[in-house]
Amino acid sequence: MSATAFGRPLDVDSLLHRRDPAVKLALVLVTSAVVTGVFDPWTPTALYLIALPAVAVAGRIPPRTLARAHVPFALFGLSLFTVNALTRQGEVVGTLGPFDVTAPGLAIGASLAVRTLLIGTLSLGFVLTTDGARLMTSLHQHVRLSGAFAYAVLAGYRLLEQLPQQWQTIRQAQAMRRTRAPGRGVQRRGSRAPHRPVALPRSPRALTRAAFTLLVTTLRRGERMSIALETRGLGAGRRTIHDPARLTPGDAVLTGVVLAVVTLVLLVSRHAGLLAGWGALGVFG
Amino acid sequence: MSARTDGPRRDTPSPAGPNGHSPRPTAPRRSPITLHDLVLLAALAVVFGFLYWALVQLWGWLQVAMGPFGDLAQNALAGGWMVVAPLAVYIVRKPGVGVVVEIIAAIVEVVFLASPVGPMLLLVGLIQGVGAELPFALTRYRRFGWSVFVASGISAALFNLMLGVVRFGWAGQDFFALRVGLQFASGILLCGLLAKVIGDALLRTGVLDNYAIGRAERAAARAQRR
Repeated sequence: MSATAFGRPLDVDSLLHRRDPAVKLALVLVTSAVVTGVFDPWTPTALYLIALPAVAVAGRIPPRTLARAHVPFALFGLSLFTVNALTRQGEVVGTLGPFDVTAPGLAIGASLAVRTLLIGTLSLGFVLTTDGARLMTSLHQHVRLSGAFAYAVLAGYRLLEQLPQQWQTIRQAQAMRRTRAPGRGVQRRGSRAPHRPVALPRSPRALTRAAFTLLVTTLRRGERMSIALETRGLGAGRRTIHDPARLTPGDAVLTGVVLAVVTLVLLVSRHAGLLAGWGALGVFG
Repeated sequence: MSARTDGPRRDTPSPAGPNGHSPRPTAPRRSPITLHDLVLLAALAVVFGFLYWALVQLWGWLQVAMGPFGDLAQNALAGGWMVVAPLAVYIVRKPGVGVVVEIIAAIVEVVFLASPVGPMLLLVGLIQGVGAELPFALTRYRRFGWSVFVASGISAALFNLMLGVVRFGWAGQDFFALRVGLQFASGILLCGLLAKVIGDALLRTGVLDNYAIGRAERAAARAQRR
């Protein structure tokens, strides 16, 4: 994802693109909360195998984009799997160096890893089909989020869009100043070809200084924005909404389908004796 | 002119009499969070959300490289994830600020940056915000010494631990004691104390002059000159 694409949906029209952002967010949150209580590997796997093609087709997300976005989720999941497989009590099924691999550890680790992939896929489906600004409008309308809060988040979003550019500018400026500082064994101005690009300093000290400068400039910009918003009367009472977000029958259908699928998978898994909750951890008695 | 106008009123109704004078000299009253404050919180949340997001990308590789200890890296770094909450409370000094800033940071990470942790971050932000803000609430947002920041770090770490026990079942693992130790050390250093260091550094630059922290600083300077 390129830096300029923060908070912008994929540039296509799809079933998921047309749904209301607040409804989509609520569904992702509810599903994530439900699977957080599940600790067997089978239930999240079933949900994941349903969710992956469903999100890809309904959101018209190219398989390549989906695969590339899976890398961070996969790393996170792999780490969760390793730590649980090696550090839980229970029946030992093998050893790896000084650690015992246990059966409950493998099961819980696999469950948490697949859960990460599942939640990751759902969030991708949400982010890649939702416009950030529309989400705030929808939340303002349907969840009664305060207008000031919604606009503050949107102002933050505008600042975020400029951050990568700002970061680059600050680091380049600091690199320029560094080359001019005499007597440090660094290149002096004019001592080599003038158009040769200067390497940006990568020491932790330089990065910390750049991060702090980024914070200061962003706070300055933010204050200017808030003054601009206040002079336009924002935060002074009720407002009308331009281009309101309307709930459609499609949103109800989406909600019904998602909740039905999650319930069905949980019921089938329970009927098959596979479902495991907190009890699988063996901590809460 | 009546004391109450129909114009913009962001503050609580003032106890001012008809001639505009307060009947009794009280401490400056605490108004709800204004738009001015909210945009500052959003700016803070954006910068920290962006830095967190960059950290998460690196952290994924670190986790896998460290094998079974990789997941513990999470506890060692956890304090840094929460530093924005005590910092925001330090600057704005109003109830709820720590929670709001954590939630905005979570929104930024989830909605705009597609964090691998997913929308559960909203809940995580809420709980971490409450944890970090609690000690400031107990001092009624009036004390900002080092000890309160240490308490904030400890409290945030505690809330984060409880959340981890529920989300990832930490309590059944072998290294639970090590996790608790790392988490508290990280909470105190990277969340509590770092917030005060950053806040004081920002104050010296002058960007915070129009917020509660800058006003308090000027009031203190005036009191000293007298």
